[in-house]
Amino acid sequence: MIFIPFIALFVGIALGLLFNQPLPGIAGTYLALACVAGLDSVLGGVRSALESKFDSEILVTGFVSNTLIAFGLGYLGDQIGLNLFLAAALVLGGRIFTNLSVIRRYGITRLRDARARREMLNQDAAPGPKP
Amino acid sequence: MNPFATRSSGYQWIWPTSAMALVLGVMLTMAWITAQTRQSRFSELPTDVRDRLNSASLDFQGEYFKVQQELKSLRESFGELREENTKLQNAVADQTKSSQLLNESLQEVKTFAGLTEVEGPGLMITLRDAKNAPEGLGDYAVIHDIDVLKVVNELWNAGAEAISVNDLRVGPHTNFRCVGSVILVDRVQIASPVVIRAIGDPKTLEGALDLPLGVLAEIRQVEPAMVKTERVENMRMPGFAGSTKPKFMKAVPPKG
Repeated sequence: MIFIPFIALFVGIALGLLFNQPLPGIAGTYLALACVAGLDSVLGGVRSALESKFDSEILVTGFVSNTLIAFGLGYLGDQIGLNLFLAAALVLGGRIFTNLSVIRRYGITRLRDARARREMLNQDAAPGPKP
Repeated sequence: MNPFATRSSGYQWIWPTSAMALVLGVMLTMAWITAQTRQSRFSELPTDVRDRLNSASLDFQGEYFKVQQELKSLRESFGELREENTKLQNAVADQTKSSQLLNESLQEVKTFAGLTEVEGPGLMITLRDAKNAPEGLGDYAVIHDIDVLKVVNELWNAGAEAISVNDLRVGPHTNFRCVGSVILVDRVQIASPVVIRAIGDPKTLEGALDLPLGVLAEIRQVEPAMVKTERVENMRMPGFAGSTKPKFMKAVPPKG
């Protein structure tokens, strides 16, 4: 079940390659930023699932609004002659790092849990004097 | 906190997240394909926005080019006027013996100061950027203002009487500077090849420059073809075309 998002990601990449259509004009340049926003949202979703406070409505609206805000911020920055592009990239990049580190911690906790559980079971099954 | 304490959410997060991952995959690929096919973000912007973002540097460059052109033409007319001045001085001096003597010493001073066109034997040095410099030498493969300055300095030391750089006469206040990739001689742009000509004893001048570990040896290390020296029997060079009017200094009258 865990792997379904990854599979979906690769299916998406394959679809994009099949589609093989560059986004014309200025929109194409903000798409990169939207990608970073999307990546942040997906990782945020995984994280919230691990934290058991997943809410599909919050997640989906977050994905859409983050993407649009990143798009708009990049556009606004070019209009007023300030590189807001970088501001958005920096913040979203930082959030991706945070999300990934939280996910990593939960993964490690889970592994340790499993190991401890196995050891306890082995002890239960083993013959001989119990401590 | 145990992350597995509540299992109420189960696997319900899988499907929305997967759907988003799918969209993200498509977006990533599109961004990648777009990035492959475009040059830069700037080229996609509407022209007026791009101009505004660039305007400062563009304005400056255009203005700078105009000023350079103006400077060049002004210098030319300056030289002509100075020649006219000499003619008038000679005409005035024809009248009496004393004014003739006075004029002779005046012309001598003018020649010494480099204000008149002069001719004589000398040395011609051509410095040019390296064409086949070894990789990674970068900065050393280019002729810099400091190279020109060193050569000119060495020529003065070797007894040169008049020096010109790319037909710009080196006067009392002449300076060599570097802005970006161009060398400025008295604020006039020059570029490789730099032709330095000096009037003096050709043998002495050449010997001074060819000293071991001398100024040219350093450049020749990068590529021998960067430097070419040539003895010349007779050459002409223009007078100094900059301003000579002092703003602050005054001659102190002789005592007594």
